[in-house]
Amino acid sequence: MLDEIKELPARYPQPRSAVMPALDLAQEELGHLTPEAMSEVAAALELDPGYVEGVATFYSLFHLEPTGKHRFYVCTNLSCALRGANEIVDHLKAAIGVMGPVQVSSDGLFSYEEVECLGACEFAPMMRLDHRYHHDLTEAKIDQVIAERKGRKEEIHLPARRRGASPPRSPGRSVAKPPGGETHVAIEPPLPGPPRKAGRGKRKDA
Amino acid sequence: MPELRGSFGDQPHHILTRWFGTPDLHKLDVYAGKPGGYGALRKALLDMAPAEITNEVKTSGLRGRGGAGFATGTKWSFINRDAPGPKYVVVNADESEPGTSKDRYILENSPHMLVEGILIAAYAVGANQAWVYIRGEYDEPRRMLSEAIEEARAKGYVGPKPFGKEYPVDIRLYRGHGAYICGEETALLESLEGKRAQPRSRPPFPAVKGAWGRPTLLNNVETLATVPWIINNGGAAYAKLGTDKSPGTRLMSVSGNVRKPGVYEVELGQTFRHVIMELAGGVTEGRNLKVFWPGGSSAPVLPASMLDTKTDMEALAAARSMGGSGGVIVMDDQHCVVRAAYRLLQFYAHESCGKCTPCRVGGDWAVRTYERMLANEGSQIDLDTLQRVSDGLQYGRCLCGLGDSAGWVIDSTLRHFREEYEDHALRHECNVGAVTASA
Repeated sequence: MLDEIKELPARYPQPRSAVMPALDLAQEELGHLTPEAMSEVAAALELDPGYVEGVATFYSLFHLEPTGKHRFYVCTNLSCALRGANEIVDHLKAAIGVMGPVQVSSDGLFSYEEVECLGACEFAPMMRLDHRYHHDLTEAKIDQVIAERKGRKEEIHLPARRRGASPPRSPGRSVAKPPGGETHVAIEPPLPGPPRKAGRGKRKDA
Repeated sequence: MPELRGSFGDQPHHILTRWFGTPDLHKLDVYAGKPGGYGALRKALLDMAPAEITNEVKTSGLRGRGGAGFATGTKWSFINRDAPGPKYVVVNADESEPGTSKDRYILENSPHMLVEGILIAAYAVGANQAWVYIRGEYDEPRRMLSEAIEEARAKGYVGPKPFGKEYPVDIRLYRGHGAYICGEETALLESLEGKRAQPRSRPPFPAVKGAWGRPTLLNNVETLATVPWIINNGGAAYAKLGTDKSPGTRLMSVSGNVRKPGVYEVELGQTFRHVIMELAGGVTEGRNLKVFWPGGSSAPVLPASMLDTKTDMEALAAARSMGGSGGVIVMDDQHCVVRAAYRLLQFYAHESCGKCTPCRVGGDWAVRTYERMLANEGSQIDLDTLQRVSDGLQYGRCLCGLGDSAGWVIDSTLRHFREEYEDHALRHECNVGAVTASA
């Protein structure tokens, strides 16, 4: 990862622009940004650690605390709140058994965050989960995505694209997988989550 | 194919959305097979001088669709094309104004329309490198735009000799990481440079000293996506649509308590009654319209009695509001205005970058005042405090518009719904039934 980070500055007119893509790589690898990770990123980019931390703390997609393997980003801004987003959050908290956004579910799988407008207001209430938008949320849909991810626990280390290409999951799993879920987006990008060993392909946009 | 909720299909005023809904429109071959698809780029590169392109955009009267509504052609002409050294086109795809989803609608449905617009703009202003700053949460739009750019690269449209013309242009993506303030142009530039996104003081303006200290043209996604149509059909044809001072069409994302939320292409000058009651199917069954935000949460609210206000920027200014980002948030009479304003102030307080004192302090102050009122501990003092905070946030006291926007939420809701505020602050009651806005 550090080697990859060291290659980033050359891609921009000035090297400092590499700081967010670098933090991105670190967060993808580690799940969240530890002080040590930020220091290493700083060293790799020849920047002051305090500067890097200053950038990381400014942007809400950088997490400085551990998150669940699957993090729910539920929009509760006005357009979604007017269509029941707060009730969705209440249901979600109960369903994954957490009191607030800093807490991770006891199995380590889930955490959530109430976020500001995600720019899909015609589909309100909506959320982002595992790099995808989920539309027209209901309590049943929340239950469904949770059940699907609990069922997937053992497959999570497979490279995401391969997983997307082989839809039939191993048979005989006890957790119910309702039909027709996850239909908004054809390709499923990598899942974010805590420590993973396997290296991953470079992001197209980095 | 993304699900379409909004305008598409062949209607006389559909400039942007005419081909939306065509299977695989996001593919270059399909887009290029439509009348004009990449024809505008070809025409611009081979048949037009850069100054002619800029003049055509000036003639069209197109105004920026990001929020400020500045004349696009004029903005282009601020860049000194002959100045030595690199120049940039930076595309603002950091759509994050609450209630606004129109740029996503373009990115997901017709990314090549944007790519073509970027390439034309780059040629017109003399830039060889374009950057698209796209919000981090837009994973799918980013993937689609990235694929579109690669397709255009494979065709040679992005590259050293588009259509055989010696004019190299490259387009790169830069992913944002969750900060509303990055929609503000100078904050976006700071972020692109790898810094905390805090707005710069102007002058110097980005046209002189923008990204990495170089002359930079900054335009919104929808603005640039409109350019190919203007080049294909002429600025004069565009200027015939809409009103004199706000020509053309714009995408309006209608959300909240309506039957058919969606992104609708509207000819400017149509009324909000048309947008909300006809296009979006009217307010949720059995309820009545109470208030709407005509241009994103930052646009001062208009009560139901002002539903016949027109959508052009002049009519909105006369109604003491603005066209903003085109996000129309509709709220019905089952919801409490004070709670809605409270939710929005939470947003502005959270998103303040902290650089300017009125915004950094005023937002939190307002939030705490709303909390006191909603906990039935309010008094006349709180109403006065809100008005004072609102005044303190406005009138250019901050470097960017975020402070003003927060002030406008307070000011406009107080102006139109004073009684509801007094119910909370003075009588410690809420006369609205079901209230679901965050408390």
